[in-house]
Amino acid sequence: MRLVLDHLTACHPFWSLVANGVFSPGVHLVSGDVGSGKSTLALMMAGLLTPESGTVIRESIPQMMLSFQFPEFHITGLSVAEECRSWNLDPDAVIRSAGIDVAKETPSLSLSRGELKRLHLACVLARDYDLLLLDEPFSSLDCPGKEWVCRQMNKRAGGITVIFTHEQSIFPDIDHIWEIVGGELADCGDMPGAVVHWQHAPPLVKKLICTGRSPLALTPEGIREAACRTRG
Amino acid sequence: MITFENIRYRLLAIDTLAISPGVTSVIGPNGSGKSTLLKLCAGIAEPDRGTVLVNGRSPRETETGYVNEFPDRNILFSTVTDELASPLRFRHTPCRETDRSVRACAETMGITRLLDRNMQDLSGGEKVLVALAAACISRPRVLILDECDSHLDADRCAWLDAVLRASGAEYVIRCTQQMETAVEGDHLVYIEGGRVLHAGMPTAVFPLLADTPFYPLSWRWPV
Repeated sequence: MRLVLDHLTACHPFWSLVANGVFSPGVHLVSGDVGSGKSTLALMMAGLLTPESGTVIRESIPQMMLSFQFPEFHITGLSVAEECRSWNLDPDAVIRSAGIDVAKETPSLSLSRGELKRLHLACVLARDYDLLLLDEPFSSLDCPGKEWVCRQMNKRAGGITVIFTHEQSIFPDIDHIWEIVGGELADCGDMPGAVVHWQHAPPLVKKLICTGRSPLALTPEGIREAACRTRG
Repeated sequence: MITFENIRYRLLAIDTLAISPGVTSVIGPNGSGKSTLLKLCAGIAEPDRGTVLVNGRSPRETETGYVNEFPDRNILFSTVTDELASPLRFRHTPCRETDRSVRACAETMGITRLLDRNMQDLSGGEKVLVALAAACISRPRVLILDECDSHLDADRCAWLDAVLRASGAEYVIRCTQQMETAVEGDHLVYIEGGRVLHAGMPTAVFPLLADTPFYPLSWRWPV
């Protein structure tokens, strides 16, 4: 199973993106500045947007899911229950998994954005996909919600997970880091070596690297281990 | 001072809360009432019971800039220039002055390159930056930002802090789920289940959250 980006290009009047790379099973992190093309790349990976040139090859990936940056774009059910049933899921189980305190009859779009994101992610993460593309999965989530999403991602057995995010603090166990720099997808490499090449590393990670304590993992435990490590 | 007295509105139950001038971060679990609190501050909603006052006046009598947590719900017009100009046009500002202000604001906010773009062609983060610029352009006394930073990269977040400080707004009140951002504010309000559990300076409030995921990682493990 792998996802191959073969000389992929996207051209807009105001920016362009070139992407080459092979995504193997594991958790991949893609970062980049605002407007650098992360969501466009996610759409191309999912086959929802035709690239200007190049090819996206999905090998042995029969099942795939793209979670949009804005949870409101996914909503098709008027109520929470209808929304869950549209995913063929039991509303009670989804509400419990999402950790939200709402009635099933609550109109979907009356939820707070964080609750809506939790509901949406609970629906997405209720099933296993060979390729799971998550565009800003942490936006609007509170800290316990981010930790819950990380636990779900860490539990995924096999499959390729690609996270496009600006998150600065709470990450799952990342295997590989990519970033968009100067209109090009750059491969920072596998963890833990990738962090030293990662220009968009969060300030805390950069501080750790500067003090010679490069984290072995981006999880809270990995950051703690690095912070507590004896210098040098 | 922004004061809340005996507030009952939806799930919010706040007996008393005073917010001083400066940058205030509002944090708490999803669905705890943060956005509802911001809507009361902005005068978008009025409480069923109790009073909210901004320097002794109703929020609806106060110049306020507001950025919604749903980026698309901020958009009224199709182009960035029209969106940015709209607060000034609504108050009948002369065209030449509006054009000047739009260019100056775009430059300050680093979005001059977006002026000719359509709003629907922007990325999520770019939509937030335009909404923020539109909220700031009339130099409001109160600036309210509902999780603006959830679509911004680290550099933009740091830059946003500087922009907010320079905005001239007497009160900046923002919801955030980035605790490293909340650390940088002047004041911190922690809400849970519609109630204000803690309020004060970040150095006073965060230690009370030391056993929760809301405690900043940079404080938990100083580097």
